[in-house]
Amino acid sequence: MASVAPAPSTARPAPAGERKGIPGRSGKFNRVDPVFYAFLLPALVLFTIAITVPAITGIVYSFTNSIGFGESEFIGFLNYAVLFSDPAVLSSYGFTLGFSVVTVVLVNLIAFFLALGLTSRIRFRNALRSTFVIPMVVSGIIIAYVFQYLFSNSLPQLGQAISNPVLSQSILANADLAWIGVVLVTAWQAVPSALLIYIAGLLSIPGDVYEAAQIDGASGRQRLWSITLPLVAGYIVINVIVGFKNFINSYDIIVGLTNGGPGTATRSVAMTIFTGFTGGDYAYQMANAAIFFLIAIAIAVLQLRVTRGRAAIR
Amino acid sequence: MTASPHFLNRPVSRRAVLGGLGALGVTGLLAGCAPSGGRTDITFFMSKTEVLEHFTELISEFNSSQSNVRVILDSSSNIAATFVRGNPPDIACFTYNLEMARFMERGALSDLSDVSIASQIRPEVQELVDQYATYPGRTSVIPWSVTAAAVIYNQDIFEEQGLEVPRTWTEFTEVCEALVAAGITPIYGTYRDPWTIAQGHFDYTVGGSFDTAEFFEKMKEQGPQVGIDSSVSFQKDFFEPMERMVQLNEWSNQNAASRGYGEGNFAMGAGEAAMYMQGPWALTEIEKTAPDARLGNFPLPMTDDPDDLRVRVNLDLALWIPEESQKKDAAREFLEFLTKPEVQDTYNQQFLAFGTRQDAPPQEDPRVAELQSFYDEGRFYQGPSKAIPLTIPAEGYIQAMMTGSSIEGTLRTMDNDWRRLAVRS
Repeated sequence: MASVAPAPSTARPAPAGERKGIPGRSGKFNRVDPVFYAFLLPALVLFTIAITVPAITGIVYSFTNSIGFGESEFIGFLNYAVLFSDPAVLSSYGFTLGFSVVTVVLVNLIAFFLALGLTSRIRFRNALRSTFVIPMVVSGIIIAYVFQYLFSNSLPQLGQAISNPVLSQSILANADLAWIGVVLVTAWQAVPSALLIYIAGLLSIPGDVYEAAQIDGASGRQRLWSITLPLVAGYIVINVIVGFKNFINSYDIIVGLTNGGPGTATRSVAMTIFTGFTGGDYAYQMANAAIFFLIAIAIAVLQLRVTRGRAAIR
Repeated sequence: MTASPHFLNRPVSRRAVLGGLGALGVTGLLAGCAPSGGRTDITFFMSKTEVLEHFTELISEFNSSQSNVRVILDSSSNIAATFVRGNPPDIACFTYNLEMARFMERGALSDLSDVSIASQIRPEVQELVDQYATYPGRTSVIPWSVTAAAVIYNQDIFEEQGLEVPRTWTEFTEVCEALVAAGITPIYGTYRDPWTIAQGHFDYTVGGSFDTAEFFEKMKEQGPQVGIDSSVSFQKDFFEPMERMVQLNEWSNQNAASRGYGEGNFAMGAGEAAMYMQGPWALTEIEKTAPDARLGNFPLPMTDDPDDLRVRVNLDLALWIPEESQKKDAAREFLEFLTKPEVQDTYNQQFLAFGTRQDAPPQEDPRVAELQSFYDEGRFYQGPSKAIPLTIPAEGYIQAMMTGSSIEGTLRTMDNDWRRLAVRS
């Protein structure tokens, strides 16, 4: 599982470095001071020990029938073959991807419009900004337990009060609706960090651009559509990428809210992989982790391409 | 940047200083680890939070009673991870289940057939260990404490309504209907926590219907052939019990799907329902909010023959010493201490459990005493939900059936999962 998370984050800084560039990058071979390599070394060593070696070990295990301990034998691609026909695994991918897409859209819509509001001339702007950032500093599992209480007790009471049959039961206990609860709570926690990035983005747009537009008679909607959006496009891409990467790795909030239930309706890939440790199905879930790792790399590469293009425009 | 040798020189000296400090620290640590005064330190794994305090007292009693061995409690490790790392505890007192059986099956637990208690364990109880797996020629696990779970019932409500403890399924349905007619919730369900349905409703209905140990024995033999045509399958053998399990919904609180274990214990303490499908661990929890609640226990009847009544048991605590331990002799000394009748029996009495020796005294607590005769006569089974490997998300499936998913479809999924697992392991 650990092997999955870092892929995009380590890849991300690359374009920035290349873009701003070390002077004379295009030159044949600029003599680089060896001290730069020395700076790189600790990170490289730690990354190798903590990420690369375990990742490779895990992939080797995925070709065995190991339970994580004791003797085991190589069984080739059997784990992978079974994996692709395992509805429990496939449905966890379906849930995770669907949930991530919905959450990314929701988070970015809310955060963007909230940022627009919080960068305009409103009263109590600073106080409001601090308030909206609070969810970010609370641990996911605590948020999940608090919301679980709200969904199981407070919301059903409200539902009974307005005699709505759907809301009278906890939506977390409803296999068709539980995912909505997971999306809402995840979004609640994820909005602040996206918000901060959007606020930074909006503040980076020089005021004279708007002044010029206003003089030319552009309406508010035109200004939003033709000035603000293109100029913060890079930030949107960053938020979408970072958000998506976080959401496909979802674990703590789901564990606290539904623990994958009802049934297996909200079991994420990360949770499925983790069952390999508790259930002694080590090698099989290592194969799952390897696939998940490849998907994460694919997403990271795709995102790198997109950001690089975006950077060129700016 | 112009990095001069000047710049590079400075960190070298700093590194030397840091390195020196590090070395000092390491020596300090090593000194701290050394056995003090020639005693052997052993790690003892015990993670049952409700009884940690009791065990802390036992450990200090043992540590001060002799000067060879010092026991250090480990209550937080992930036990599977310690085996994977090759660094298991020296001795453990731990729930014995299918997941632990994996380690035993591969010879990770040492032979204890020559410890003094080994010959005194009741054969039917030792048999519970073997139901999961065996390792040829070894007694790898010593059962220490057995808990029996059944239907907890509120004796006050039963008396007020003039109800008898049901001994057949028909009587049980009559009790439920009588309670409904009196405006009392018959059963309190806490479906939000899937384990509560799995160990309660599911295990009681299946375990009360047929011999589940034999069923899983056959399921293992069938392995990759499990399906609608195999001699045993979830689809065929579990269908009727599952129908009855879902039927329990009719007699349960309306909001069962959004209630959890804690809320259930509280509700039972407050007398909000007459029956509760939980084990003795819930009794000690209920006691916290309702110390005077008059509660009893009866096995859920699934047939119309009172002779078929069975209670669900589990090896709540069992002792084992890993093969990899370098301090087996010291660990055995502690094992001998824990298996002294006064130590073992005191624990089992206090925590509403049953002893494992042939001469273990009966449980006297009125809340579970009704189950003693079933335990004595060997009329018990291990929870079938615990015989399903954790890879198959059985608790989730059970919760789904309970909250409206198709029984037939869910059981078919379980068969498919079982088959897939058998193919690759």
